[in-house]
Amino acid sequence: MICTGTPKTRGAARFLETTRLLTLVLVGALVWSVAGAGWGGGIIHTGGAAAIKDFSLALFPPELSPEFLKVALAASWQTVVHAVAGITIAVIIGLPLGIVASGSLGNPGRSRLAVAGVVRFLLAFMRSIHELVWAVLFVTAFGLSSLAVVLAIAVPYAGILGRIYSELLNDVPQGPLAGLRSAGASPARVLIYGRMPMVFTDLLGYSFYRFECALRAAAIMSFVGIRGLGFEIQLSLNDLRFDEVWTLLLFLVGLVLVVDYWSSKVRRSLQS
Amino acid sequence: MISTEKMVDGRSLGKTFGAQTALAPLDLIIAPGERVALAGPSGSGKSTLLYILAGLIQPDRGQLYLDSQAVSQLRPGRELSEAVGLVQQQFDLVPQLPVVQNVLAGRLGQWGLLRSLASLFSARERDAAAAALSRLGILDKIDQRTSQLSGGEQQRVAIARLMIQSPKVILADEPVSSLDPAQAEEILKLLTSLADETGGVMVASLHAPDLIRQHFTRVIGLRQGVMQFDLPARELTPPVLEALYDLYRDSQN
Repeated sequence: MICTGTPKTRGAARFLETTRLLTLVLVGALVWSVAGAGWGGGIIHTGGAAAIKDFSLALFPPELSPEFLKVALAASWQTVVHAVAGITIAVIIGLPLGIVASGSLGNPGRSRLAVAGVVRFLLAFMRSIHELVWAVLFVTAFGLSSLAVVLAIAVPYAGILGRIYSELLNDVPQGPLAGLRSAGASPARVLIYGRMPMVFTDLLGYSFYRFECALRAAAIMSFVGIRGLGFEIQLSLNDLRFDEVWTLLLFLVGLVLVVDYWSSKVRRSLQS
Repeated sequence: MISTEKMVDGRSLGKTFGAQTALAPLDLIIAPGERVALAGPSGSGKSTLLYILAGLIQPDRGQLYLDSQAVSQLRPGRELSEAVGLVQQQFDLVPQLPVVQNVLAGRLGQWGLLRSLASLFSARERDAAAAALSRLGILDKIDQRTSQLSGGEQQRVAIARLMIQSPKVILADEPVSSLDPAQAEEILKLLTSLADETGGVMVASLHAPDLIRQHFTRVIGLRQGVMQFDLPARELTPPVLEALYDLYRDSQN
């Protein structure tokens, strides 16, 4: 059949036209912003090329003296502690909030929707403020302490995790849920016997990914003056000790790789 | 336990979704011992009727009584799950849980929340689950992940769950559509014997006329949400069935 216009195909054509228009607008915006970025103007740092060369060559070899390795190890430990504490609190806060935001608890009705809406707004508020901004706020409140870093990670990450958790919990096949309901399961029981087991692997995988992000976040908390890998990187940069910077960067990459490996191990053991 | 002449008593049950009539109002009275087949093409309202009977969706109008109790008055959970239970095709088990947990889910209407939670970590009433599975010949699968079982085995697990739940009215939504003929035969026998042990009523949707004649006492034809016929199963002749499916095809062109 040649496409000459049942209502359905005309609707599809209009949809395609709209999509194409939208694509054009977006591509246009991209081109305009790249062109407008001011590539030519401004002041060019004439020693830039030499600095990049110095920095690159410092990798061969990085600073590997026992004293400095001890410093790097201590800084890494500090960073890991902040990240673990932060992500743990984020999961503890984010999971219940995510469950409520998904609207899968309680009986259907307006009150459930209202509560879910309020919680969704709360989650959005928590995650729309960057962890560094939270850090400034918490440092103001609690001083330069580990508590400030941990909370600065925990609050926005709970917002992010809660949102993802609620989407995962909502986006499950309905058949098994109906099966549980017909066996007499209440919403709470449908949650623990149906939704949770169905999303658990994804939930865990995403939490691990966020743990990696928390490591990076904990590392750069030096911007507000808190110790950790970022703090040491800043010190070494100030001394122009690029070989030390490389050592610290390698430690950071190592941490992320370890978490990645651990995550895939755990998920594989769950899937078998 | 049979205490009434009408195990299922539904008056002008109907359901619309938006402008779409999923089920035009119909009366449905089923006596103990009756096994009712629902026939009709996809989208004919069979599943909607089963979901209404299961108390999973509310009819727009009409009243439904199961064993003289108004379904709308039954509390979801314990009371409803004792009155009625539903098996769907292969999609109604939680694939990630071990078999034993899917079977014991039949107790969720009776267990408290803490007991339900505790049982996820260390199965309560494992013996009851084992007994049901061994009757169905799949006791060796009890600790396997449900997703690793074949379609026929999963259907048995769903029936084991229904045994554990033991409702008075047994509903089955296309219970044999994904099974080979031998398995289909087996599953229908199991459902029938289960129905005989509980309230004696089974309502199932399926397409195969041979199976309907063999395992059911009564057949109801549905087309586009409207009841076409309500006959003793032995009167389901090929012309009657062809008319049911043909009419649908006509209305599409």
